[in-house]
Amino acid sequence: MKVQVILISYIELNNLEYLLHLFILIAVYTLLSQSLNLAAGMTGLISLSHAGFYGLGAYTTALLSVNFGFSFWLNLPIAMVLSGLVAMIVSFVALRTVEDYFIICSMGIQIILFSLMNNLMEVTRGPLGIPGIPSISLFGFGLDDKIPFLLLTFVFVSLVWLILRNIKNSGFGNTLIAISEDEIYTQSIGKNIYLLKVQSFSFSAMLAAIPGALYAHYISYIDPTSFTVNESIFILSIVIIGGMGNLAGSFYASAFLILLPEALRFVGMPDSIAANMRQIIYGLMLVLVIMTGKNGFKELFKIRSIVEKNRNR
Amino acid sequence: MQVEIQILFNTSVTAAIYLILANSFSFIYYPTKFFHLAHAIVISLGAYFVFLFAIRFPIPFAVSIPLAIAVATLVGLACEIFVYCPMRKRNTPPLNYLISSLGLYILLQNCVSIFFGDDTKIINTIEVTVGHQIFGAYITTIQIITVFISIAFFIAVNLFLNFSSTGKSIRAVSSNPDLSNIYGIPSNKTILISFGIGSSLAATAGILSAMDTNMSPTFGFNLLLYGVVAMIIGGVGSTTGLIAGSFLVATAQHLAGFYLDTKWMDAVTYFILILFLIWKPLGFSGKILKKIQL
Repeated sequence: MKVQVILISYIELNNLEYLLHLFILIAVYTLLSQSLNLAAGMTGLISLSHAGFYGLGAYTTALLSVNFGFSFWLNLPIAMVLSGLVAMIVSFVALRTVEDYFIICSMGIQIILFSLMNNLMEVTRGPLGIPGIPSISLFGFGLDDKIPFLLLTFVFVSLVWLILRNIKNSGFGNTLIAISEDEIYTQSIGKNIYLLKVQSFSFSAMLAAIPGALYAHYISYIDPTSFTVNESIFILSIVIIGGMGNLAGSFYASAFLILLPEALRFVGMPDSIAANMRQIIYGLMLVLVIMTGKNGFKELFKIRSIVEKNRNR
Repeated sequence: MQVEIQILFNTSVTAAIYLILANSFSFIYYPTKFFHLAHAIVISLGAYFVFLFAIRFPIPFAVSIPLAIAVATLVGLACEIFVYCPMRKRNTPPLNYLISSLGLYILLQNCVSIFFGDDTKIINTIEVTVGHQIFGAYITTIQIITVFISIAFFIAVNLFLNFSSTGKSIRAVSSNPDLSNIYGIPSNKTILISFGIGSSLAATAGILSAMDTNMSPTFGFNLLLYGVVAMIIGGVGSTTGLIAGSFLVATAQHLAGFYLDTKWMDAVTYFILILFLIWKPLGFSGKILKKIQL
């Protein structure tokens, strides 16, 4: 009862708009982390360039709609195709490296993409960003309001979730999982692992353009600081905290990590520390999950695993 | 002519800092075979502790610099003791070390941000001077010190690795940890020693760089990545390759800064790295890496 009163007063205080804004952010990060889950979780390509492709999607749609007046429904496929193409070209060269070197290589790609967004002043206006991106319209209705926009993002999240779930259960998905488990064995049963990795990486980057386009039209202003290496690390840690290859886990982890600063503010922590505190908490969770070798944060609290261990002994 | 000499001076100072960093990073990379990215925070912490000791509580520089290096080294050792060593005992897959070091980096970097603030800080030692004029180009005292310290460290590290018994055991563990365990060289203890030496070198590089320019909580990460690029280009496992690698990175950056624009320095560095990883993954030295042998 008391909690309800506090919650209602909290909502009234900060108004409903803010809560909806948080839900939209959760949807955007769910899309991002689930698309990375295809490359990182299923195929084992730990990539630190995802924010770069997210930014590529956002910049493509922003430039097209501001300069040429294209609508969102035309921008989205163009952004996806462009992001996928760039990822394919990049992965043809980057995937010749393995493990640690691939991570460093993908970080290099991310830094080059960021530096293009930040420094190509003639095209992207650099650090000034691109203002005045129009909002999405559907059958003549403008989606200025947050509620219809939330519904639209919800549709996209469920669509991507469905696609990824089907990929995971398909033969293609099983081969990808086999690559992450034993690369040489998969090669020995006649799979072209290089091609499969390129496909998985490019498709993952292609899906990353969807949240980019949504984000650009939603915020209506983008600048390069949203697409830095730290953002890539954040997306990767959502995937790892949620569990590799676990799509529902990515959703829970992104909801948790987006709502965490609000919860910290609720406890009474000043704003200046809350942002750093969130990063400290997710850094700590990342280290804990990786250190114990568990798949996702949830498994840290599983008692069954201990029982299983005893049974095996 | 004057411009060329100035570029040459700046390149050698930058290369000197990258050489210390590449040396410190490879000290940890040889025995453990993973990228310890939390090393970046050791670089930052060295500089920030000098700031804390020398500026906040007025302790003389001669005392506060060794103290700062010691504290930063303790942080590096703590990473090994509390995170990597338990992981090694559990036999976690090799990729997990890099990811956990990213987590550690985020954790520690934000602690620094909370404690010291996110703004850019400078360690103002002496009043700002123009510097010495040599052949018409300018070089400051701290830059000359950097170059000499870098050369001294490089020689000392090579002597240590080749002639002392601890150095030899580090090389033994680097080539085969299991076999050296059998021969009575404790691999965990040796790795701990190399973490200590690597961290203290990194803290020194951080202090020198912060005294030359300025510092913010994230400045260590960029510096470390340049050091890593220098190490990969130079060839992992080769000490003379490190000199070539750090000079190549520094030259490329300064030439890009002069002929294109300083804003393209990062992109050029990583472009070179990617080219090297694809066409010459063994670096200048051509020594074979663990990852490439199958």
